[in-house]
Amino acid sequence: MITCKVCNNQEYHGVFFCGECGSQLAFASTEMVNTLVYPNQNRALEVDFTQTIPKKLLEDSTFILYSNEREEVIDIPDQNEFTIGRFVEGQVITPDVDLNEYEAYDMGISRLHATIRISPEKGKIFVVDLGSANGSSVNGYEIPANSEVPLNHGDVLSLGKFNMKVILPQDMK
Amino acid sequence: MQDKTDFYRRLNIGTGASEDAIKKAFRLAARKAHPDVNKNDGATQLFLDIQEAYKVLSDPTRKENYDQGRDPHDSPSGILTAFEYSQQALLRLEEPQVIYALVDILSTQDEIQISDDLPLNIALVLDNSTSMKGARLDILRAATKEIINDLGEEDLVSVISFNDRAKVLLDSQSKPSDIQVEAALNELYAEGGTEIFQGIEAGYEEIRKHPTLNYVNHIILITDGHTYGDEDNCIALAKSAADQDIGISGLGIGIEWNDEFIDQLCALTGGQSLFIHDIKQVKEFLVHSIASLKEAFSRRLTLEITPAPGVTILSSFRILPEAIPLPNQQLFSLGILKKHQPHRVLFEFLVNPIPDKIDQAVIASGEYVIKKKIRDQVIPFILERKLETDPDNLEAPAPEIFKAISHLTFYRLQEKAQQDIASGNPGSAYQRLLNLSSHLMAKGEDALAKVAMNEADYIKSHNNFSPTGKKHLKYGTIRLLLPDKT
Repeated sequence: MITCKVCNNQEYHGVFFCGECGSQLAFASTEMVNTLVYPNQNRALEVDFTQTIPKKLLEDSTFILYSNEREEVIDIPDQNEFTIGRFVEGQVITPDVDLNEYEAYDMGISRLHATIRISPEKGKIFVVDLGSANGSSVNGYEIPANSEVPLNHGDVLSLGKFNMKVILPQDMK
Repeated sequence: MQDKTDFYRRLNIGTGASEDAIKKAFRLAARKAHPDVNKNDGATQLFLDIQEAYKVLSDPTRKENYDQGRDPHDSPSGILTAFEYSQQALLRLEEPQVIYALVDILSTQDEIQISDDLPLNIALVLDNSTSMKGARLDILRAATKEIINDLGEEDLVSVISFNDRAKVLLDSQSKPSDIQVEAALNELYAEGGTEIFQGIEAGYEEIRKHPTLNYVNHIILITDGHTYGDEDNCIALAKSAADQDIGISGLGIGIEWNDEFIDQLCALTGGQSLFIHDIKQVKEFLVHSIASLKEAFSRRLTLEITPAPGVTILSSFRILPEAIPLPNQQLFSLGILKKHQPHRVLFEFLVNPIPDKIDQAVIASGEYVIKKKIRDQVIPFILERKLETDPDNLEAPAPEIFKAISHLTFYRLQEKAQQDIASGNPGSAYQRLLNLSSHLMAKGEDALAKVAMNEADYIKSHNNFSPTGKKHLKYGTIRLLLPDKT
């Protein structure tokens, strides 16, 4: 059997597409379907951020997380892997990105909610939900815990109720 | 006698080419010429020519005959079959695996030239229940008149209206005069309920006034309503219609009609069912149906497929000439075989582990029966694949079959969303339609993606499909399966 990376459904060998969620399982190089473009149902978040993000930042960075509500870029470290969550006094392992200033508790963000992984080899960026209490979703599609889900430019990544826009400046042109 | 290097030239190889070289040359040439890729005029002909050449050159006996200058169409039937598999080989696995096969059948150009054209015998069965009142009937009247006018000298046509009972407005005849047609259609006014059985039975009787052997026989049913209580009779009638080479196509207008039932009815005869939201499309449907029947090479095609031991048919879907899911059985009534277009079915097989000593496994054997004027032609075939140990040795599948499978996935997703709703699970139907929408979007099917998205939103608030949404999605995803999306 083969396991669908998106929804964990099991399919027989030889099946090309997951019968549950429709994602492509085999022959990804055939590029007939871009499997992981989730529909963007959060249409309210379709705003023009080019005015509010400094030009220099758009030129320099490979990956930007943007809070539409506050119209500002979320501060993330310049490294290929980092965790996002909510810092609590006395916590042993702390998240690299602390979302307390975005009312993390009310938004249902776990202490260690998710990991962002930037993979230069694969040329892709992934999010992994770390088994958070309220889950994570991409464009409203709930993602399975502990598995890599690719992020595309324009996706809305939600941790609990907190929405962030994924901006990949190199894909903007 | 034609130039004997002709077949070699079609494949762009020399006369001394090896078996392997012929095979490679064919793949290359066929891919380039395939009508899906090559949109130039004459691409279909080119593709058929290439296939024809390959059929001969890949068979040692026929190649030898050909090389010696004998007519390549002498012995074989004039009918070609072609298969494309999702994998070049089956894998040696300890567990079951799935393999897909596209099974094509088509006639050679020479065969078409020596065959007689079959005239049509059409029964137009029109719903005149109260709900058809006003514009619907007016438009239907005009469209009917127009297509009758376009029929050939030898074609037969009858017109039947039905509500709770059927009325033959125009007896089965060839070239009725304008006045007759006008008079007949003036009797088409709206009253009563919808009893489909009454209508198709009358159509069936009209068609049977003439020997069905000499015609392409077809009932075209147009309805906007739900039939009550006579479904079983309709199904029984459809079965006997199929046995007598009478096809049934159905067109559903608006939202009331029972799509599952009409689908089943038509599929039994190899006919097509379609949904239109706007009555104005009715003419398009009629013109398309008639044009399609006019292209008939045989009045009927049946296919019987027998899976090998350890193999199950998971699903079968006809892709050409019209896309329809086929009933879950092994003997299919496939409607007509067209002259210039292959008839194509996509099969999905589940194959149990294959014993080590077998190097080439049979997946299924099949038999087409082509019914022409007098004689029936039987074309047997076998689906088989070699065994392969290393999955890395498998190449990506040919674009055609990959595309077909990917489109089948869309159909399946909407089907599963329907099942979700039926089993009281709107949450997962919602999720599934969102997925469907995103996959459709990725394929550039924006309009249908939007329908799926709106339907997802509707389900979120109503826990059920919107009145038109279900049909839109079903027939929309079916239409995607057609290679040229006509």
